[in-house]
Amino acid sequence: MMRYDEGTYRITEPGSFGTRSLIVGIAGLAVSAIGYFLNPAQFFHSYLNAFIFWFNIAMGSLFFVMLHHLVAARWSVTLRRLAENVMMQTPLMLLFFLPLLLGLHDLFHWTHHEAVEADLILQKKAPYLNITFFVVRAAVFFGVWNAVSVLLFKASLKQDLNPEEAITKRMRVISAFGIIAYAFTFSFASFDWLMSLDAHWYSTIFGVYIFSGSLVAIISFLVIVLFFMRRQGILRNMTTTEHFHDLGKLLFAFTVFWAYIAFSQYFLIWYANIPEETIWFRNRWVGSWKGVSLLLVMGHFVLPFFILITRSAKRKAVFLTVMAFWMLFMRWVDLYWVIMPGLQEQGFNLSWFDLTAFIGIGGIFVWSLLKRIAAHPLIPVKDPQLKASVEFISE
Amino acid sequence: MNTTAKDTKSLDNPGTPLITGNQSFHSVTEKISGIVEAKVSPYWYLAITISSLLALVFFGSIGYLVWEGIGIWGVNVPVGWGFAIINFVFWVGIGHAGTLISAILFLMRQRWRTSINRFAEAMTLFAITCALIFPGIHVGRIWAAYWMFPVPNQMGMWPNFRSPLLWDVFAVSTYFTASLLFWYTGLIPDFATLRDRAKTKWKRLIMGILALGWRGGNRQWKHYELAYLILAGISTPLVLSVHSVVSTDFAVSLVPGWHTTIFPPYFVAGAIFSGFAMVMTLGILARKIFGLEDFITVNHLDKMSKIMLVTGMMVGYAYMMEFFIAWYSGNEYELFTFLNRAFGPYAWAYWTMITCNVLVPQLFWFKKVRNSIGALFVISILINIGMWFERFVIVVTSLSRDFLPANWDYYSPTFWDIATFVGSFGLFLTLFLLFVRFVPIISMAEVKGVLPQADPHHTAKEQAKG
Amino acid sequence: MADSNTKELYILAEFESAAALYHAAEKMRDAGCRHFDCHSPFPIHGMDAAMGLERSPLGWIAGLCATFGALGGVALQWYASTIAYPLVISGKPFFSFQAYLPVTFALGVLMAAGASLFGMLGLNRLPQFHHPLFNSERFKRVTDDGFFISAIAVNNAEGDKLQKFLESIGGSNIEVLKD
Repeated sequence: MMRYDEGTYRITEPGSFGTRSLIVGIAGLAVSAIGYFLNPAQFFHSYLNAFIFWFNIAMGSLFFVMLHHLVAARWSVTLRRLAENVMMQTPLMLLFFLPLLLGLHDLFHWTHHEAVEADLILQKKAPYLNITFFVVRAAVFFGVWNAVSVLLFKASLKQDLNPEEAITKRMRVISAFGIIAYAFTFSFASFDWLMSLDAHWYSTIFGVYIFSGSLVAIISFLVIVLFFMRRQGILRNMTTTEHFHDLGKLLFAFTVFWAYIAFSQYFLIWYANIPEETIWFRNRWVGSWKGVSLLLVMGHFVLPFFILITRSAKRKAVFLTVMAFWMLFMRWVDLYWVIMPGLQEQGFNLSWFDLTAFIGIGGIFVWSLLKRIAAHPLIPVKDPQLKASVEFISE
Repeated sequence: MNTTAKDTKSLDNPGTPLITGNQSFHSVTEKISGIVEAKVSPYWYLAITISSLLALVFFGSIGYLVWEGIGIWGVNVPVGWGFAIINFVFWVGIGHAGTLISAILFLMRQRWRTSINRFAEAMTLFAITCALIFPGIHVGRIWAAYWMFPVPNQMGMWPNFRSPLLWDVFAVSTYFTASLLFWYTGLIPDFATLRDRAKTKWKRLIMGILALGWRGGNRQWKHYELAYLILAGISTPLVLSVHSVVSTDFAVSLVPGWHTTIFPPYFVAGAIFSGFAMVMTLGILARKIFGLEDFITVNHLDKMSKIMLVTGMMVGYAYMMEFFIAWYSGNEYELFTFLNRAFGPYAWAYWTMITCNVLVPQLFWFKKVRNSIGALFVISILINIGMWFERFVIVVTSLSRDFLPANWDYYSPTFWDIATFVGSFGLFLTLFLLFVRFVPIISMAEVKGVLPQADPHHTAKEQAKG
Repeated sequence: MADSNTKELYILAEFESAAALYHAAEKMRDAGCRHFDCHSPFPIHGMDAAMGLERSPLGWIAGLCATFGALGGVALQWYASTIAYPLVISGKPFFSFQAYLPVTFALGVLMAAGASLFGMLGLNRLPQFHHPLFNSERFKRVTDDGFFISAIAVNNAEGDKLQKFLESIGGSNIEVLKD
């Protein structure tokens, strides 16, 4: 059981949940490690899937915080520190990224020299798709994300002590430049880590597609964290139904945005019917993959659309939390659908490693997040807009 | 009960009020109704004379087109889509800012929009009017335009619903209708104001009919506010879908430079970008001519420039992604098309586009520029030019050099192309001038709603302080 | 209702500000008065609760119409492309649902937009060009800067009671309006 001091907005007693998730996490990773020896190809695909899932949550959070500063949002001030804590898991994601470097050969066709030699198109792409440049890019990406996250977090902590106008301004400036860097780094990271799994295939919108999914992921994650914190008596007087309502609206909006982007990509490729592009969707329409594709359409769009469009679904915290869990599950399915067909061509084949890698990274993610939550006040105590945020009413 | 979160202070600078000049409800009514009720200034007559002459050029060119056929245009064998499609996409795009301001900013609780939404929505309607004319005339045989609609006819012929050009018909005409309904919904309370202020019988009669007997009762406002919210809610996906559908005119094809999956969101961002530039141009003129400095404040212009900065960068992102993927795809036709755009015979158009759409908006980083009316006016016009050239680059460069080098040709517009395009501004401006003359150009009911004294807890708070 | 003696009376009282109107509405509600309305030049936030009104059902009307519009759109395209005029276009099936989405969406939105405006007018019983309140010269300020409560009384006795009550909660310039 967590304890919480309403005066200082600090967790006084972290409780055992963090430790328990750490244990689950280590156990999950340990079991996954066995997979590395048994079936490396499957292991790395499962691991990549889990990695991108949690990575998207952290990256979605970074975007959420930057957007919050740029539009000078008020309603989300009480949620800002929570999002910042999630955003600060980016360095942890760098740690989790490193094992993937061992599996480049298992994941990416373009790392095979003999394949490139036999393939004119891959030769053309070689200046971009080669291991050295791939690693350099990943280093740059993480460098940018960590720098922006740390700068924002430091400024935010400084504001806790000293609510100067200059700090608010500084955070806005960091966000303005950060968001530009983010747009490019995130897109190219999506190209590198996901799109190049199928080295021939290309789609200009792909970065936006993964980005739209990460927005769904972070809003769902915030809803869940907020719900459980409030059950523990944390942030009860600083957040209201109105905050759930607004998160619900965002969840709805981002779900529709995801569908819009996903449909744009599918639609244009389906219509033009150029073989080198259509094959990607063809591979996801084979055997049991067809079921997964349909599940995505129904579960990631149709169902949440009709549920979340109603007012009551957004205002009932329990209900919204259930939806948030469902959307996170759909995020995982979406990534699975992007990653796995390269490995399992005839139909999907769930593996134990999918689960163990997921809870492995997730357990440590949650543990690290809780540690950070306990280390600082849970809201930006001196933000000039704090009172407005607590009192706001969603219409 | 919330009050503080909805005060009238702008989000950016909590100290600056949205509407300046210490307005009361009555002064808002006086100021804005006054524009419609005042004696017509000679400048207005001068302006509408010029614009209607231009509009005559427009209709004259169309008349000649119908008489003679599209041979009077510069379209040739590989470039079958010339100015008509460019202008169509350009005008539809202009319209998008109006819907963004009236619908999306409304959903985002950006209360500064109340000063500009009315005339931005009007601009939307007039821009779509101009836009709809171009696909209508570009078929050459206007009398067969009804083939585009699913009307049972003696030929037993139905339109092809798998064609993006038909989606355009539905998307754009729905867009026009929904925008008109939205606009009219917003106008009902303001027509009632004009009705109640009317001095002459005729005016009272006309305004009375338009106001539909509005009484301003809360039992009416209750339904009214929800209707407004729903219209905003459906206009938001609508505005995204319209320019997405327009983008499919290009993107579902096989033509290199057209078939790229980022087109739908990229077109939408570009549309909003260009539309805001047009709102800015017209807004700066309107505030100057009618003395609306208290309503369309520098603060409003500042926010609009920031939106242009963001959307301009989204467009820049799309330019870059297209270029990168053209190389990354390993497809030689794609790569050629993009290199041809940047360094081929149309390089001048490409670099005009890059300069106006990506480089010039970077000036918006500086607060000095954002607060200088002259600079904003010039930049907004440059962006309009740049966005027109974007459509030119897309339409013309991809077609002029397609798969078969034997077919390559250079496209140049003729006199009639240019006359039709310039003339369409005449129609647009004429409609806009009629609008500012006869309809309140700022939504009085909405502006009153964001004044501090509109808050039902206003006096209680003030008393507690004093 | 034909007899002029039994015709409804409208008691109109003016209030000086949005805040005064808001608090008066709360008092009317608490006094159990139901047939009254608060008139203002702009919608006042929280007034629905202050008057004790329920949420408008317009959302359901618009949603229903949108569904009909979209289904109608699908039906139209299905009929035109598979029954009435089947054509092979770029090797795609006659019923290519993907390609039908833009038109389906547009028609759904079109119906919802129409339903919002016309549904709102219907729920408000508009257009209504003749109304007792328009007999008041003072009431013209409602679209400028006036705040009013109009309460309906079925007979003179009730009208007197309402007049007194409206006065007691701060209403001024009270008028009794008849059709």
